[in-house]
Amino acid sequence: MSGATLFSVSFDIGSAILRGIASVFPMPESGWITNPDVILGLSAVIFAAILLAASMLNTILLIWWERKLLGRIMDRRGAMHVGYAGLLQNFADGLKLFRKNTVQPREADSLGFYSGPVTYMVTSLIIFGILPISSGWNGGALPLTLLLALAIFSFAPLFIFVSAWSSNNKYSLMGGMRSAAQMIAYEVPILLAVVAVVIVSGSFDLTTIVYEQQNYWFWGPLFVALIVFVAGMLAEMERIPFDLPEAEAELVEGWNTEYGGMLFAFFMLADYLRALIGSILVVLLFLGGWTLPTWVPSGLTTFPLAGIFWFMVKTYAVFGLFVWIRASLPRVRTDQLLRVGWNRMIPLSLLAVFLAAVLVTVKCLPVFGCVPSAGGM
Amino acid sequence: MAQELTATEKPNENPILWVTRPMATAARQFAKSLFRPSTIVYPYERLEDPKFRGRLKVASGKPFGVGQVWDNYRGVHALNIATCISCNLCAFSCPDLCIDMVTVPGGDPKHPKKCPQIDYGKCSYCGFCSDACPEGCLTMTTRYELSTTKRSEMIYSPQKLLEVFQHKLPMNPIRLARPANEDAILLEPLLCIGCNACARDCPTQCITMLDIPKPEAKPGEKLPKRIWKEPVVNDSDCVRCGTCISVCPKECLFWGTRR
Amino acid sequence: MSEMWINMGPQHPMTHGLWNLRVKLDGEIVVDVDPEIGYLHRGIEKISEDRHYNEVITLMDRCCYVAGFSWEHLYILAAEEALHLAPPERAEYLRVLCDEFQRIGSHLMWYAAFVQDIGLMSPFLYGMRDRDLVLDLYQSYTGARMTYEYMRVGGVRNDLPPGFSAEARQVLDWLSRRFDEYDQLTLGSDIFRKRCDNLGILKANDCVAHGVTGPMLRSAGVKRDLRKDRPYSAYDRVEFDVAVADGADVTARYLVRLEEMRQAVRILRQVLDWLDKNPGPVMAEELPRWLGAPYAPIGREGYLLKRNFPKGVGFSAVEEPHGEAVAYVVNEGGEHPYRVKFRSPVFSNISAARKYLIGYHVADIPPIMGSVDICIGEVDR
Repeated sequence: MSGATLFSVSFDIGSAILRGIASVFPMPESGWITNPDVILGLSAVIFAAILLAASMLNTILLIWWERKLLGRIMDRRGAMHVGYAGLLQNFADGLKLFRKNTVQPREADSLGFYSGPVTYMVTSLIIFGILPISSGWNGGALPLTLLLALAIFSFAPLFIFVSAWSSNNKYSLMGGMRSAAQMIAYEVPILLAVVAVVIVSGSFDLTTIVYEQQNYWFWGPLFVALIVFVAGMLAEMERIPFDLPEAEAELVEGWNTEYGGMLFAFFMLADYLRALIGSILVVLLFLGGWTLPTWVPSGLTTFPLAGIFWFMVKTYAVFGLFVWIRASLPRVRTDQLLRVGWNRMIPLSLLAVFLAAVLVTVKCLPVFGCVPSAGGM
Repeated sequence: MAQELTATEKPNENPILWVTRPMATAARQFAKSLFRPSTIVYPYERLEDPKFRGRLKVASGKPFGVGQVWDNYRGVHALNIATCISCNLCAFSCPDLCIDMVTVPGGDPKHPKKCPQIDYGKCSYCGFCSDACPEGCLTMTTRYELSTTKRSEMIYSPQKLLEVFQHKLPMNPIRLARPANEDAILLEPLLCIGCNACARDCPTQCITMLDIPKPEAKPGEKLPKRIWKEPVVNDSDCVRCGTCISVCPKECLFWGTRR
Repeated sequence: MSEMWINMGPQHPMTHGLWNLRVKLDGEIVVDVDPEIGYLHRGIEKISEDRHYNEVITLMDRCCYVAGFSWEHLYILAAEEALHLAPPERAEYLRVLCDEFQRIGSHLMWYAAFVQDIGLMSPFLYGMRDRDLVLDLYQSYTGARMTYEYMRVGGVRNDLPPGFSAEARQVLDWLSRRFDEYDQLTLGSDIFRKRCDNLGILKANDCVAHGVTGPMLRSAGVKRDLRKDRPYSAYDRVEFDVAVADGADVTARYLVRLEEMRQAVRILRQVLDWLDKNPGPVMAEELPRWLGAPYAPIGREGYLLKRNFPKGVGFSAVEEPHGEAVAYVVNEGGEHPYRVKFRSPVFSNISAARKYLIGYHVADIPPIMGSVDICIGEVDR
């Protein structure tokens, strides 16, 4: 799909629809149907619809992937009754949640209670919209995609805390406070790890970062940054071993204790959407995005939508690593988590930045070859 | 003398191993269960399926995560109405009082045949009733699926229990031996009035009323007003249900050791 | 934030049963706790007074639903003493077999619940999977997986089915390999050590003061095990070591329980050897008619009044998987026990909660209470 981008495809679909309408209802040449603004607007709507569908489909597939993988690690099967190998199980679960009644606690604050899940969901969707999935799939070539993604990513503690506070439940409140403390503690090392990537690639644009990795992927030279980033992402995604905010052993369900029905489904979907985004960011920043090493036979990289295919394979593999970690490690405690965050992760991330700076200055790597561009320095 | 277990020293010094050892164990498990997890797919596969039989057996190598429903599983009862003698022992031995003796058709109209009806809402599957059954007509089968939406459907009538019996499910094979020093039904002859109640109600017909000589009344002595018969219990046929003791109007029958 | 009370229970993932732990928190620090029990009270002691001696066994299985055999054994020992009966030797070995398999089963259940409490997900299912093998073995000779009704006053209900010994050995081999795997998943992970070391410390003198027994007492360095100190059934004829640790913390309790499972495997191998070599009766010969397998009808007036059974009092103490359980049975000559009294080890272990919970984090409550191994069925009875 070289040449065709997501937006051009949306534009083609939009204009095709409009041409169809024009052929059914004949109108003059200068009618509204040929107005470029209408075409652009329709294209934008189609573009957003494709993005939404892709994100939701991937999120649900991701839940399926986790359930199956976790099941096999635990010596069981996971979802398997609805659809082939349980592929439709999550759709069934979603439908069930959709039909359920949403119960609001008596003294809960309605505004925060209802707006929390919605904003949490919406902000997570925005991030997916701006992430490039392949060379054609990027939501407009913004120069600062990475920064924007991380900025929106870090909104989450606010919404979690708002919904936890307005639930009027002690468990929710404690979960919300833990969530806020944990996310803020791990924002810093994540950003520093990203700075290491930015120093080497010389750009805040994710597409550029991926293209910088065409010769070698960053996971080798920036291994320290990768570890910091993955650990930080585990905390940001609230997955074991850092799932304290919803530690079910002591805090029933943490900050979404009081949520049920569709609002809970929003939280659940947004959680997995954030997990998807985290995996995508790891792939984009460290695993070369949609590119494959040059020694891979070209037959594997030239079929249609090869970029998206390989990108998704990498993303699901990274998420599989998260699932593997979840299946085998216990949960840490709040103070230990924060101590690890502030005392270990930040020095490690500073070390990663330092190493990246050294790499760029020396301009040459003994093992991984030379840095193609010295960045924007 | 066991040495004290200490956990004060660290298991190892390498921080990488702290995470990788459990992850490696999980991965090993993943590789094992990738092709055949230990679970069985219950509604489609069943433990009583012959292909799971002997899964735990030595010949099949490693034990697997599932076993089998053994023949002596204590599930739903099966009742063979034809051999039931209405002795009530199952109902008496039930700790949950979930067994009622109800009339089934086909008995003598004067002495209707009664068979157990079991309320599975109360039953605790202890198996005391099938242990107590002297004829082996009430046994426990390997059937275990009882869920229903109506409480009344949990009550299994004798006919329903007979249907279970007719399915020919594997039955509990263990029959308990009778104790060597079994008590017997003894008679206190002075109290007996020869009323035939015990012989009439004995489920095994092991009591026969034998004539006894009517003593000569001495002058001045009034003979008791009674029928001059006495019950004689055939110990080998007696199932020790105690029906005779409970129906005896004069309480002249009792448990004891026959010498 | 000022101090606040939160109710952990009666429906809470931490409780493992039906009870309520009221916790007073200052931020995330526990400043006071107040265990509330009684949600599962069924009046088992009172019901027992209205039951035939053998029928009390059905209650014992429900008394502690993960260690039914141990409680059956406890009651049976007391009842036999009260009724002046002695089981045959084979029945004693069979009871030890039941007890030790029960210990493995109960500790595996504990392991599964405990690792779940600290957030380990897979070992939960590994523990439950391996416990299933033990349950399969129970089922092969008792006919049930959790409520066995196997032991009887004067012996046990039936002998082992043919081929049981080989299968049991197979399961033991499998289990003894699994124990190392469990250690890899827990002790091998530094996060586990960070969570559990120096947590929930209950020193030996506090244990004694609160009547805390079982693995909690042994983890504090006290070498007390009723199987050694007051041997019952065939425990004086098998060799095993008492697992003792010195940490008095959650890790030490973990170590003690794992070691107890290994020792149970050792005991079971000896018991199976003995059972293979010595066939024999499993019920006492001189059994009163009304304790025999098919019962005399109960509830009929005037049955036992005409006989004179010797009166008696029975006392027994059993090293249950959770601790030391004690039973007291008074036989006043009827077909029902006159009085039955039990001492639950977990009751004492829970009541010391103030000693080992205050001062730790709220996130530490699940691992600490998990390491106590709570079975509410026997606490409330």
